[in-house]
Amino acid sequence: MRISDLKISISGIRGIVGESLTPQLIIKFSEAFSTYIGGGKIAVGSDTRPSAEMVKNAVFGGLLSCGASPLDLGILPIPSLQIYTKEKKLDGAISITASHNPVEWNALKLIRKGGHYLYPYEAEELLDVYYQGRFQRVTNPDKIDKGKDPFSIHQKKIVGLVDTDIIRQKKIRVVVDPCGGAASPFVQDFLEALGTEVICVNCGLTEGFPRNPEPIPENLSTLCEAVKEHKADVGFAQDADADRLAAVDENGAPIGEEYTLALAVDYYLQRKKKSPVVVNLSTSRVIEDITNKAGVELHRSLVGEINVARMMGEKGAKIGGEGNGGIIVADVHTCRDSFSGMAYLLEYLAWSGKKFSELRGELPDYYMIKHKVKASFREARMILNKISQKFRQGDIQTLDGLRVDYPDFWLHVRPSNTEPVVRIQVEGKSEESAQKVFKQIMEEI
Amino acid sequence: MKDRLRINVSGIRGEVPGALNVGVVSKFSSAFTSTLEKGRIAICRDSRNTSHMLAMAVLSSVIAGGLDCADFGLLPTPFLQFLMGKETYSGGIAITGGHNPVSWNAVILLDSEGDYLDISEGSEVFNIYEAGDFTKASWKELGHIQTITFPMDRYFEELSHIVDVDRIRKMRFKVVADPCNGASSSYMKDFGDFFDLDLIPINDNPEKPFPHPPEPSVENASQVEAVVESTGADIGFLLNSDGSRISFVNEKGVAFSEEMTFPLALLSMKGKINKAITTTVTTSWADWAAQTIGIPIARTKVGQSSVVHVMESEGAAVGGEGSGSLCFLSFSLGYDSLLTLSLILDLMAREDKSLSVLTALFPERHMKKVKIDVPPERTYRVMDRLEELYSRENPDYTDGVRVERKGVWFNIRPSSTEFVLRITIEGEKQEAVESIEDELRDRMGI
Repeated sequence: MRISDLKISISGIRGIVGESLTPQLIIKFSEAFSTYIGGGKIAVGSDTRPSAEMVKNAVFGGLLSCGASPLDLGILPIPSLQIYTKEKKLDGAISITASHNPVEWNALKLIRKGGHYLYPYEAEELLDVYYQGRFQRVTNPDKIDKGKDPFSIHQKKIVGLVDTDIIRQKKIRVVVDPCGGAASPFVQDFLEALGTEVICVNCGLTEGFPRNPEPIPENLSTLCEAVKEHKADVGFAQDADADRLAAVDENGAPIGEEYTLALAVDYYLQRKKKSPVVVNLSTSRVIEDITNKAGVELHRSLVGEINVARMMGEKGAKIGGEGNGGIIVADVHTCRDSFSGMAYLLEYLAWSGKKFSELRGELPDYYMIKHKVKASFREARMILNKISQKFRQGDIQTLDGLRVDYPDFWLHVRPSNTEPVVRIQVEGKSEESAQKVFKQIMEEI
Repeated sequence: MKDRLRINVSGIRGEVPGALNVGVVSKFSSAFTSTLEKGRIAICRDSRNTSHMLAMAVLSSVIAGGLDCADFGLLPTPFLQFLMGKETYSGGIAITGGHNPVSWNAVILLDSEGDYLDISEGSEVFNIYEAGDFTKASWKELGHIQTITFPMDRYFEELSHIVDVDRIRKMRFKVVADPCNGASSSYMKDFGDFFDLDLIPINDNPEKPFPHPPEPSVENASQVEAVVESTGADIGFLLNSDGSRISFVNEKGVAFSEEMTFPLALLSMKGKINKAITTTVTTSWADWAAQTIGIPIARTKVGQSSVVHVMESEGAAVGGEGSGSLCFLSFSLGYDSLLTLSLILDLMAREDKSLSVLTALFPERHMKKVKIDVPPERTYRVMDRLEELYSRENPDYTDGVRVERKGVWFNIRPSSTEFVLRITIEGEKQEAVESIEDELRDRMGI
């Protein structure tokens, strides 16, 4: 099967500029979105990709065509856009960002009323409207409005929840690396407002990203060096749309993106509120240790922010997220938000009076392997079948791919929705035990 | 007819929403961009409520094709064409329905000099459109959008080489302007100031809807007529939505046909021009005016594309149409209403005569223009029948069928912008015109 790099799926539309992502497709998708949600006030924000101007004009054209009253919010992190949509009671929003994908990509992410991603069934209906191509075009398109200082709502909300005095007293020095992305124009001010001393690296908007935007350890060398050089207490890295967060300790060592969520949850339960916690099926077991210690319920949702967010609502969870650095703080908004994450981790540092490496050291060690295998969609099903045979002694869940739990390790094998790829995750208590299971899986494949 | 698109060198035209929408406009812009050399495209739009939306589709598609946009925003098309003749552009796009009703719009493609495309250039774009084979720039090569303000002073500077500005200024003309809330609205004041006019603008807010159909004509002139009469103005005028056409109201508050515009402008250019081009459906006043100032006049097909291209190939200094349009080749390659207005003011100042006196010299002519709804699939049969009926009268086939009889002529042709047949009849006597209309209606069974 020939696989296109254009991905039109329930996550939105994504493709490579100059190849698959054309203004025609963007216009059509925006017309479908406005038709589907019935027009109204729709905010548009983008990350810093150079193609944003092309994409944005097409988005506005499509929105206006189908009766929307668009609001141009300029460069804006996706959590800020979600919060703005919620607080201003808008009808929806479009974020122009390919998130952690490289610079040649771009994408539209669709936000519904209330500041959440479209629900999966809604996204499916939207695709129906898109493919049918029968749009509710209007005779009298509206004008485009500009939003005023849209990040400030987000910042105020967080600053109001955090004890900035204690952070200021401790004279915490932070290095932050927003990857020249959507957080770049805001993050320095934001961290200063929290009371820290800030050094920003990769803060300028450049043509193209200064590093690979995915905030995983191998992409964070600039940040690690800067933390050591400036003798900072902590380092933070965001991705291009600023929903995910990774942290580096005072020695310049990445703690692993699974541990940013773990530390935030640990702190929240210790200090803020005992509340149920929701994480997705791929999130590290360290969360279980934390919720057990705190004596609160842990629920696991399907992978994807909207699934975590909705389950948090159902279960009354105040904190949760996704293990890949997506921290969700319900008091701010049930969306993945690197800014809320940074605020709580800084408050944790200040309040505990400990070093960042010590805070990390208090959590049990797990070793996680994340791996991708190319497989056709049929092969993917066969792989799942073989693995469920092989690991039939474990506790098997088939909610989202195949998750198998054993006392000392777990594995999650999940076919991608958009690519002929199977994602494999194995977590054990040590590198050896994880490697051993991983080898067994690879032998089956 | 809402769902039908008209694609030709006078624009990609249709009703919005319907045949013309952001998707179609985006595809055409990508196709056009694909035919051009790297560089920048000049872009402007009129004040229609759909134009800013279509402009966004244009801007996105042009930069996606790797060319830059010089975005002039709301601007009369002739201004864009003027500037394109002076500066370097790869091409131009004007988003304007011109004289079409407000529910219509069009994308007009211009070459590097601001000239309409000819048929072969147009088909190149249309072929790429059909094939969907667009040039796509990588993220590094995407174009950029630059917002630009039109340099009005350059326009006036050039205008002062054509008309005697001081002579006009001294007259202190009182002028009623009706730009129909179109693209020219914002430039009325500058124009009035430059010529020291006592300007009385009406309908000059581009944010507001069109107060009447945006077509300069007697039927649409009643407001201007009333204001001229009540203010005692020397002249009043009406523009279409992109400032390419103009018609006038005299000092008595009487509107005259848009057919009068071109012949009047010819009189103004006495001694400055060698030759004029017009169309087979333009009034015979044009011949009279050309004769009066001693120049030859030739006729071609209807439309800015054919008139201007014939001017270029024949080396004719001036061209125009009965729709109230005029192009002066050394000024720009577009029909320009404010240039035309300047010429008429210059004529009034030079002769020191009122409009009613100037037009009293014109021989008696009566013209009737009739529009008949005929869908494209019926055009062939209807036209074929007419050709057969009139074949013995030695017709002219330049644009449809044109028959000349003693004291009267008529032309029937399919419109290139609307789904109608246009009948034009002109005679020395009103009765002759009416009898031709009866004859045609009878023979065509309408």
